[in-house]
Amino acid sequence: MESIAQGVAERVIDLVVEALDMNALLARIDLNIVLARVDLNQVVDRIDLDEVIDRIDLNQVVDRLDVNRLMARVDINQVLSQVDIEALVKNTDLGALMVSSSSTLATEAVDLGRSHAVSMDDTIARWVSRIRRNHKGRAEPPELPNTPEKP
Amino acid sequence: MTAPADANAGPLESVPGNVGISPPVPLGGTPRPYLPLSAKETETLRGQHAGFASRFIAFIVDCALSIAVFMLVLSAASFAASVLTGSSIHWSRANTWVVVAFFAWEFFYYAYFWTATGKTPGMVLLGVQVVGQDGSSVGTKRGLLRTLAFPLSFLLLGLGFLGILLQRDRRALHDVIADTAVVYSWDAREARLRSLAREGGGRQP
Repeated sequence: MESIAQGVAERVIDLVVEALDMNALLARIDLNIVLARVDLNQVVDRIDLDEVIDRIDLNQVVDRLDVNRLMARVDINQVLSQVDIEALVKNTDLGALMVSSSSTLATEAVDLGRSHAVSMDDTIARWVSRIRRNHKGRAEPPELPNTPEKP
Repeated sequence: MTAPADANAGPLESVPGNVGISPPVPLGGTPRPYLPLSAKETETLRGQHAGFASRFIAFIVDCALSIAVFMLVLSAASFAASVLTGSSIHWSRANTWVVVAFFAWEFFYYAYFWTATGKTPGMVLLGVQVVGQDGSSVGTKRGLLRTLAFPLSFLLLGLGFLGILLQRDRRALHDVIADTAVVYSWDAREARLRSLAREGGGRQP
């Protein structure tokens, strides 16, 4: 009896499905409403990302990358301008390398002397500006043709 | 003159009460560079018009050096004369020839260095350089003209040097006449990095 009922039900379903215009039905469905009801977080939680990544052949992906084109789009100067050179020198072996290669007692003395002379220059300029009460700042510097002078 | 406080310096360790001891050195804090110039100043220094102190100190060094060389040459000449003729020469500042030779030597000293490189030894030491007003190299004509006009700034009771203090481009009278300027030529940025390397991660064990 039960098997008869099941057979009848399957037959009815087949007839109904055949009679349905699926395109018309789909056209009447608002997918946005359907998607709004879907909890994407729950869906994502159920995905095993490690397994997905395991299935990806990264070598193949890298092979398909045009590195030259990628590098051409990178502005190296901009990247370097964001590097904190001072922190790099202070916190890495680069500083030790610089000290051992270029810094001698004489170099330090010259650097120090020049720096203090520049400080005195600025101090004198500030005094003069205060006395004159007419501070206009410095003039635009000329463009130097030569390389910087080494101590 | 002290170095400016570093904004990155770590907090000072607390000292219990006022017991007359000096503040402790920050433990693990960022060390300061020994140069009294900020990072911004060092980046923009090169090519700026040099100030009075740098130029004056360079001039003092040049005076000392040129006079020392002149005295050395006179002493050598006196020694040579005593060896060759057996009678020594006593140079006097009242001697006209000595005065003429001295001024000729001073002219040669400044003219040679300014026309050749724009830098006398004193200027090299202080990291300043004579350039054309447009930043080009001085050249023979401007170098000679500057050397000739240089005494004029003294002869006007030093008023020729007032331009260094009062003008925005810090040019003295002889700079205006020769169409030159004096600028900083040393790499202060590199010097600051050297000082950071010395004081910071670059400490040798």
